Amino acid sequence: MEKTVVSIKELVKRYGDLIALDHFSLDIYEGEVFGLLGPNGSGKTTTINCLLSLLAFDKGDIEIFGKKMTPVSYDIKKEIGVIMQNVAVFDELTVYENIDYFCGLYITDKNKRSQYVEEAIKFVGLEDFRKFYPKKLSGGLLRRLNIACGIAHKPKLIILDEPTVAVDPQSRNRILEGIQELNRNGATVIYTSHYMEEVEQICTRIAIMDKGKKVAEGTKDELKRMIKNTETITIEILELPDRIKAEISSLPHIYDAQYAEGRLTVSCSGGKHNLIRVLDVLQKNELSFGRVYTELPTLNDVFLEITGKALRDKEE
Amino acid sequence: MFLHILKYELKNGLRTKDLIIWLILFPIGLGICFKVAFGGIYDKTEKFSTIPVAVVEESDNAAFRQVLDNITSADDPFLKVTYADRAAAEKLLDEGEVEGIIFSGDKLSLTVKEKGLPETMLKSFVEQYTVKEKIVTDAISTSPEKAQEVITALTENTASSCKEIPLTQGNPDVYIQYFYNLIAMVAMFGCNTGMHITIQNQANLSALGARNNCSPAHKSVSILAGLAGSFIMETFCMILCVSFLAFVLKVDFGERLWLVYPAAIMGGMLGVSFGFFVGSLTRVGEKAKVALMTAVSMLMCFCSGLMLANMKAIIEDKLPWFNRINPAAVISDSFYCLNIDEGYERFISKLLTMAAITAVFVFLGFISSRRKKYASI
Repeated sequence: MEKTVVSIKELVKRYGDLIALDHFSLDIYEGEVFGLLGPNGSGKTTTINCLLSLLAFDKGDIEIFGKKMTPVSYDIKKEIGVIMQNVAVFDELTVYENIDYFCGLYITDKNKRSQYVEEAIKFVGLEDFRKFYPKKLSGGLLRRLNIACGIAHKPKLIILDEPTVAVDPQSRNRILEGIQELNRNGATVIYTSHYMEEVEQICTRIAIMDKGKKVAEGTKDELKRMIKNTETITIEILELPDRIKAEISSLPHIYDAQYAEGRLTVSCSGGKHNLIRVLDVLQKNELSFGRVYTELPTLNDVFLEITGKALRDKEE
Repeated sequence: MFLHILKYELKNGLRTKDLIIWLILFPIGLGICFKVAFGGIYDKTEKFSTIPVAVVEESDNAAFRQVLDNITSADDPFLKVTYADRAAAEKLLDEGEVEGIIFSGDKLSLTVKEKGLPETMLKSFVEQYTVKEKIVTDAISTSPEKAQEVITALTENTASSCKEIPLTQGNPDVYIQYFYNLIAMVAMFGCNTGMHITIQNQANLSALGARNNCSPAHKSVSILAGLAGSFIMETFCMILCVSFLAFVLKVDFGERLWLVYPAAIMGGMLGVSFGFFVGSLTRVGEKAKVALMTAVSMLMCFCSGLMLANMKAIIEDKLPWFNRINPAAVISDSFYCLNIDEGYERFISKLLTMAAITAVFVFLGFISSRRKKYASI
């Protein structure tokens, strides 16, 4: 049986009239890389802050490693590594000193700490920047330092709240590889991000949040099966009369056909020969076309279908 | 854990440019400015020295002339007498060569051009002589053989009543108050280091605070280490400031310089604890807090007389209670007591007041910071 590392039950958090978390429940198991997805204001960071006992909540229970989490659960805190959304390092301490400071809050043995700090520096690839001050580091290097400060003490549970915001692709790739390596080394990871491809790449299980509620949960494949779309066909075509578009829309397993800017986009739900059937219609009507391609649904499609396409920042 | 946090607190603090500027460079710069501006004013304008005076003898007054001769022939005469006729004396007065004209006739009278310390002393001298003149003339008429003895006694009495008598072994220069206030200001600037302790330990104030709150380090240990670090840094800055003023700028803190150090250090601790307390109270952002603290500490320094020497006297007149609780005023008062008072009672009382205010601020700061969970972050 899988061992539960984090258990959140019926969590409710209110800011005045606004309900930030609405009876939110979640179980995370040992060895998982768990992705927490959601649009802006959906409650991801609030969940993390409640989980860490930084934020008071109105109702619910939180257990970590089978014990109730409170602000004074120092034995639990010892096993947790936190990488916050905002970089949290001392500007006047060097890279080495910053990592040593935070590692020292968890590890009192100096020799062990020194070894851990060196390993963390290597892990994030900051070997050449040991004596640099944070303000001399680029955005990507700074994020890596932020991560090193959070994981140097080799925690069993690592919580990363959007750690790759404003990071270049190279650094992002390095960070993602690092997270997978930490997981391979035995750490359970909770990962929140806006970047669907990141979550798709590293997470073994995902929960999607919206308006403080969990709206979907499962593996990538399970989530993809939850949505209507199974295939999207795109065809470059110079002209498409409305009559033919309507004919395509009426084909079996096709639930939507849109034509815009010389491109026909056909959304399919189930069925096996959708592309052939669409091309048959075009050929029958002697319409020439350019490139043709088909895509399977991505996590982005899942996310947009479940949470809706309206702009959330605008809504808020 | 305590020592680990303390070590990095000190490293971080001593490398923080803002602290170096406000706690070390700024007071050094301002101290130099004060020295240049006020350094010689007292010696030139207010220090008691020989007063030039013109004497117009309208009729023969042998006793008065004898008294004047005795005064001017002393080792450290407080009068420099020029005998002249009325026109010449008035010319001397107009040209500022003398501070006043004494008309010696049946009665003594004095003419001065301005109001000031020399003029006041001349007036006092003339009044003293007039009161005692009758005693002298009576003595001379009844016992002529004792005339010289009586005149000598009169000279000493009249002259001594007009001489400056130091109250203590301290420096009577009124401009020293600016340097006291400068030290008080450095002490109050310690509030910025105190405020950073709160910022670094409260999850709702900074990302660092959130990270520290996620760690297994006990909050009270973190705060105590932070306070200890800030106290050490502030102590270093206060010693540097007083030493620079005393030994480089040669500011005369009187005979009890060694006691200026503990007063300054205690003031520094008060400043740190004040910042710690205020930092733990409100939820405004870090930059706003720094601005607020700087404004409040400057206001306190202003009220204690940093920019205007008699401001403290004005506040003493209008809002005396404020001077008792204004940390900057209490700090500068302690230096004042040290310089002016012979005994140590008031000085010790000021030190105890500072210690009490520090303890109250630290206690209240702890109470405010002990909150373990926040309503919002």
